[in-house]
Amino acid sequence: MPTRLRFDHLIGKEVRNSHGRVIGRIEDARIEPEGGEYVITHFLIGPAEGLARLRAFLGELPTLRSIGLGKERNLRPFPWQWFDWSDPNRPSVSAEPALHE
Amino acid sequence: MNKLVEIALGLVTGIGGFLEAGSLATSAQAGASFGFQLVWAIALGTICIAFLIEMAGRLAAVSKHTLPDAMRERFGIRFFTVPLVVVVLVSFLVLASEIGGVSLALQLATGIRFQWWAPAVALAVWLLLWAHNFSLVEKGASLLGLVTLVFLVGAHKLHAPLGEIGSNLIPSLPREDSAKYWFTAVSIIGASVSPYLFYFYSAGAIEDHWDEGYLGVNRVIAGLGMGFGGTVAVAVLVCAALVFHTSGVQIDRYEQIPLILAQPLGRWGFILFVASLGIACFGAALEIALQIAYLVAQGFGWKWGENIRPSQAARFSLVYTGAILLAGLLILTGIDPLKLTVFSMALTALSLPVTVVPLLIVMNDPEYLGDNVNHWIANTAVLVVSVIACVVALVAIPLQFLGGS
Amino acid sequence: MELGQALLDQQVTDRKGELMGKVDGVIVELRKAKPPRVAGLLIGGGTAAERVHAGWARWLLRWRRGWGPRHDEPLEVPWGKVLKIGVDVKVDLDAERTPALDWEHWIRDRIISRIPGA
Repeated sequence: MPTRLRFDHLIGKEVRNSHGRVIGRIEDARIEPEGGEYVITHFLIGPAEGLARLRAFLGELPTLRSIGLGKERNLRPFPWQWFDWSDPNRPSVSAEPALHE
Repeated sequence: MNKLVEIALGLVTGIGGFLEAGSLATSAQAGASFGFQLVWAIALGTICIAFLIEMAGRLAAVSKHTLPDAMRERFGIRFFTVPLVVVVLVSFLVLASEIGGVSLALQLATGIRFQWWAPAVALAVWLLLWAHNFSLVEKGASLLGLVTLVFLVGAHKLHAPLGEIGSNLIPSLPREDSAKYWFTAVSIIGASVSPYLFYFYSAGAIEDHWDEGYLGVNRVIAGLGMGFGGTVAVAVLVCAALVFHTSGVQIDRYEQIPLILAQPLGRWGFILFVASLGIACFGAALEIALQIAYLVAQGFGWKWGENIRPSQAARFSLVYTGAILLAGLLILTGIDPLKLTVFSMALTALSLPVTVVPLLIVMNDPEYLGDNVNHWIANTAVLVVSVIACVVALVAIPLQFLGGS
Repeated sequence: MELGQALLDQQVTDRKGELMGKVDGVIVELRKAKPPRVAGLLIGGGTAAERVHAGWARWLLRWRRGWGPRHDEPLEVPWGKVLKIGVDVKVDLDAERTPALDWEHWIRDRIISRIPGA
């Protein structure tokens, strides 16, 4: 398992569950201060397919929201413990609550 | 007291700085070809740019970010490269048009062909920026720019029918030559809603250390400054309409254009036309060159500033130097400045969604604007105009070229 | 706070407030049985180009190595040096002494200062 990762490389990477199915893409991460450091508590996962991503992006735009279309950014927070980084190009999650779908 | 001075300066810049190669060329062509019919296009463009300028100023005052800075942060480098490349390319063509405009003014004054003036003009523009005291230069250029008020005098001398002009604030369909009508309308919008104006404005607001206390000043400058500026553009259209359209003459050669002032005002009209063209375009060239450098420097986090020694902002200085050099070379090739200008304006209109939408997105983000996010009216107005202008440009540009210009 | 939104592509300033570039990359350290920590920032050196398009970035870097400052690696700012995250990201460094300004200096020395009046 690598010890250092480039976070900017992670953005947009597909996340798979333990069956190998793509369940979303990494869009961002939630960080919290801990001691003098900042640690990642959750990774924020967004939709996987192109069209859904486009819709999410457009819906998020405050511009469109202000004229009545679209809605809040809907990213699912996945706790850091769920992630398996053995292949950083193909991150996967090992816990499997029902909200994956 | 200080704020009143700022307002005064802003207004002077707005009035004197509104007219440049694009608005002059497109307004004159519109007046000559279609009489007063296209006044609505100038009004629409002016309203749009007033909104955008106010937004750029508000962004700077509240978030302490310039527009390119905020765009890179909000969208990430990947998406930022799209508006970056588009705006740099379009702005470059407009810069060349402005240098062409000054060169043309010198040709009208001296008879020496415009392309031979291009190196001198480019050098002069570059020198004034290299002298790194742009605040002073800007004030001078703005004051000198007031010479463009002569178009109002000309329009008055020609007995401009205010009622008839006013009635054309309502858009109307073309009676003939549809392709040219829409192409001209779209070019006028492109001339009014030039991205360089609001990108430059946001940098200025940061340099002047604006804060939330300046939001009122910002609104006045944007509204009144652009409003008065738009009136000058309408005056150009009116003069052209009364001098050319009424007699059925078309503008085919730029040597004809000074007539729009020479006819009502005689020899002084000609002189002041040449002065207006030269000064307005020169001022715009300075701003656009700086704006291109701002966009690149602010997008990449480099040092930038209008009053910094070149050696202290080397990459920034290199960008404007390179832009001016290439723009000057382009005019030196002898390319028709009038055609280049009108084409750049149409291209600007075509690219409006790419240049304007990122600003709109940022302007609605509470992370940047807090409580001062856009009102939905401003969003809708600007979005609608940009999209429509783009769609019309998409259709009108090829038609114009197929029909021959 | 969200990592991408708060840090990535933000303006970086040094301890004197001088502009140093943008946060082009963020390094995260994975740890056994502990949450990953934000380890450092990356500035410059083709990092941003990589994010736009890896292929073009390689081409760009190869072209740049033909001239320009010898050093073309990104500057890594360890997290401990980050002073403040706000409008900008302020770091406890002197920009002039970091590779962040290598290109700025190279262009200044080789091109700009050769022109009178700089």
